[in-house]
Amino acid sequence: MPSSLFTQFKSEDSIKKKLNLLFRNRIFRRFFIQFVFGIFLLLLFFYIVDKALNLELGFGHLSSRAGFGLSHTFIIDYNSNDSRWMGYFAGVINTIRVSLVGIVLATILGIFMGLARLSPNFLINKISTGYVEFIRNTPLLVQIIFWQLILLQLPHISKALTFGGLSVFSNKGILLPIISSNENGSLWTLILFLGLIISLILRSRLFKYKEEHVDLFSPNLISFFTFVVIAIISFFALSIKLSPSVPEVNINQYGTYIQSGGFILTPQFAAVLFALVLYTGTFITEIVRGSIQSLPKGQTEAAMALGLNTYQRITLIILPQALRSIIPPLTNQYLNLTKNSSLSVAIAYPDLFMVSRTIMNNAGHALPMFVLILITYLTLSLVISLIMNIINLRVTRIGA
Amino acid sequence: MFKFRLIGIISLFSVLFVLAACSEESTSSGSSDASSNTLEVIKDRGTLNCGVNDNLTGFGVVAPDGSFEGFDIDFCKAIAAAILGDSSKVEYTPLTASARFEALGSGEVDVLIRNTTWTASRDRDLGNDFTAPTFYDGQGMMVYADSGYDSIESMSGATVCVLQGTTTELNLDDRFTGSGIPYTPLTFETNDPLQAAFEAKQCEGWTTDKSGLASKRAGFPAASGGPEALVVLAETLSKEPLGPLTRDNDSELYDVVQWVVFGMMQAEESGITSSNVSSMAANPADPGMARLLGVGFEGGEVQDFGFGISPDFMQNVLYQVGNYGEVYDRHLVPLGLTREGSLNAQWTDGGLIYAPPFR
Repeated sequence: MPSSLFTQFKSEDSIKKKLNLLFRNRIFRRFFIQFVFGIFLLLLFFYIVDKALNLELGFGHLSSRAGFGLSHTFIIDYNSNDSRWMGYFAGVINTIRVSLVGIVLATILGIFMGLARLSPNFLINKISTGYVEFIRNTPLLVQIIFWQLILLQLPHISKALTFGGLSVFSNKGILLPIISSNENGSLWTLILFLGLIISLILRSRLFKYKEEHVDLFSPNLISFFTFVVIAIISFFALSIKLSPSVPEVNINQYGTYIQSGGFILTPQFAAVLFALVLYTGTFITEIVRGSIQSLPKGQTEAAMALGLNTYQRITLIILPQALRSIIPPLTNQYLNLTKNSSLSVAIAYPDLFMVSRTIMNNAGHALPMFVLILITYLTLSLVISLIMNIINLRVTRIGA
Repeated sequence: MFKFRLIGIISLFSVLFVLAACSEESTSSGSSDASSNTLEVIKDRGTLNCGVNDNLTGFGVVAPDGSFEGFDIDFCKAIAAAILGDSSKVEYTPLTASARFEALGSGEVDVLIRNTTWTASRDRDLGNDFTAPTFYDGQGMMVYADSGYDSIESMSGATVCVLQGTTTELNLDDRFTGSGIPYTPLTFETNDPLQAAFEAKQCEGWTTDKSGLASKRAGFPAASGGPEALVVLAETLSKEPLGPLTRDNDSELYDVVQWVVFGMMQAEESGITSSNVSSMAANPADPGMARLLGVGFEGGEVQDFGFGISPDFMQNVLYQVGNYGEVYDRHLVPLGLTREGSLNAQWTDGGLIYAPPFR
């Protein structure tokens, strides 16, 4: 066909006819379009490479002294004499902190509200509907600033609400009493957490064993006993001393109110947390509602026929089945919550984005810094996805 | 046919993308691109893109009718008058403190006049060129008058509100941490939530340039006690020379901005104001004045300094905007920032306002 095209092409006299002939040919047309496209791709590639070569892609400046203070530090003890890397990590930890607490609370809120939306009780049903429609349809940034302004309405620290000296409520923070310990306390908490996981694994193994073998023991008792033993041994091994820590407000010699003791919920953290939990909670509510409604009605009716009460019906029949279709969209919401936490830059909560902006303003190198931010968020998101995929795998396997 | 159309659309987009990328390259200028000439771009475009503050009374603020006004705004107008002959041909871009350098570096604005402090790292690392300072400021600390604070030392344990991405954030830490005084910084991206926090006394101190504090104090709402409820501590935490800046390696525009500022200072020194500039230009008192205004002295040659703009550019600037003293009196005196005895007085009065010779 190309040769016949060539002879035909030669025989035509006017250029217009020649072009016309060429473009009517399918093979030529495809070749021509791809050729043009390829040229532009090549140009684009060279343009990007050329730009990239002109940029300094260095992270060297992150090792120099930070020079700025942070209002919130958690776990790591950052001060302005540390490197910018430390400042950045303090920001990353602040992001992880608000995201983790937010994910847990939003899930609890979402499940309860989702069940409430299906409740036959008029009041509960309408409260849940109102919550979803009101919160879901306003921008998150506005809500964060709104909560910040609401928390500013709390009394000044000189007139703080103390509730009998047990806690302090002021616009500088909400302080609650906790049990504090000596310096090994955080290590002990970690051991307790590991002990809990170990005893839970032990419990499920024992149950499996019991199904196959004789009924000689109670897995619940044994696993609980294991946990208690781990807790007591590590308690004495680390020589832990526990004491109640009640928040106090003192005035120093210059007249500044100093808060100490207890667990402090700062207004900035609280505003971001409230907004993220309430906002993400609405979407989780709808996911839970949708998943439950997608179950065949016969499941509920069968459970009722068996004589299960409402609590048993939900926890034994409805939720385990609904969970399969809840988990995948729930992952999306967890990812959204984590990414949305970057909006806290508006109200002085030093998350990783805000700290990065400060570093960029002091040192420049905006592009490598943004690459670092993107990689950090990507890592956080992938970790969440991984965990949720593992959970999803477990949930879909049960009873399948 | 569908496939053909799809490929056509894709190639069309790629063409547009490359074209957009190329045209971006010609208008904006990366800091490494030595051949860029923003001055010519401004002349072709017919407007000056000026990055400003929109929330600092006296320096840059949006008036009730939507126009911009202030000390920094007048320098934008002066540059537009010098390059384009019309002080109204300015496109203002309000910028936050943390976004301003990115906006200048990316070419979104031609010149940044947004109470920006000249520092070594900003000059070098961030790829900017600072022109002559228009205002010599110092960082201060504002507290409530009834709080009893009289010095930085007395603010031990206090919470201080500060804007993010400013030199003040770093100076604050140098002062407190450097002296071993414990404090908590609350870092806000914009002024409005910062002021809300300060009004609720969530923070005991508010730190920024003293001029900015004077501006915020003057506009402090009566519901929260008005200006009398606040005091600015006497201590100056740092030197803060504020001035316009352009991108690195943008010499043509840099020189114009620099010499428009100097011209306004020189005009004040020579006694040329917006009201007498026409008569002075018609009949200059001495050769120096003739060179400044771009006219011949007693029928002599006009000296063109070769800025690439009309040699009589200072006439437009002075006629449409005024000299340095007029701009200062119009915007900063109402805030209570007097010139006498300050660094912002003319050098002949013991200040730092000093223009190199127009020769």
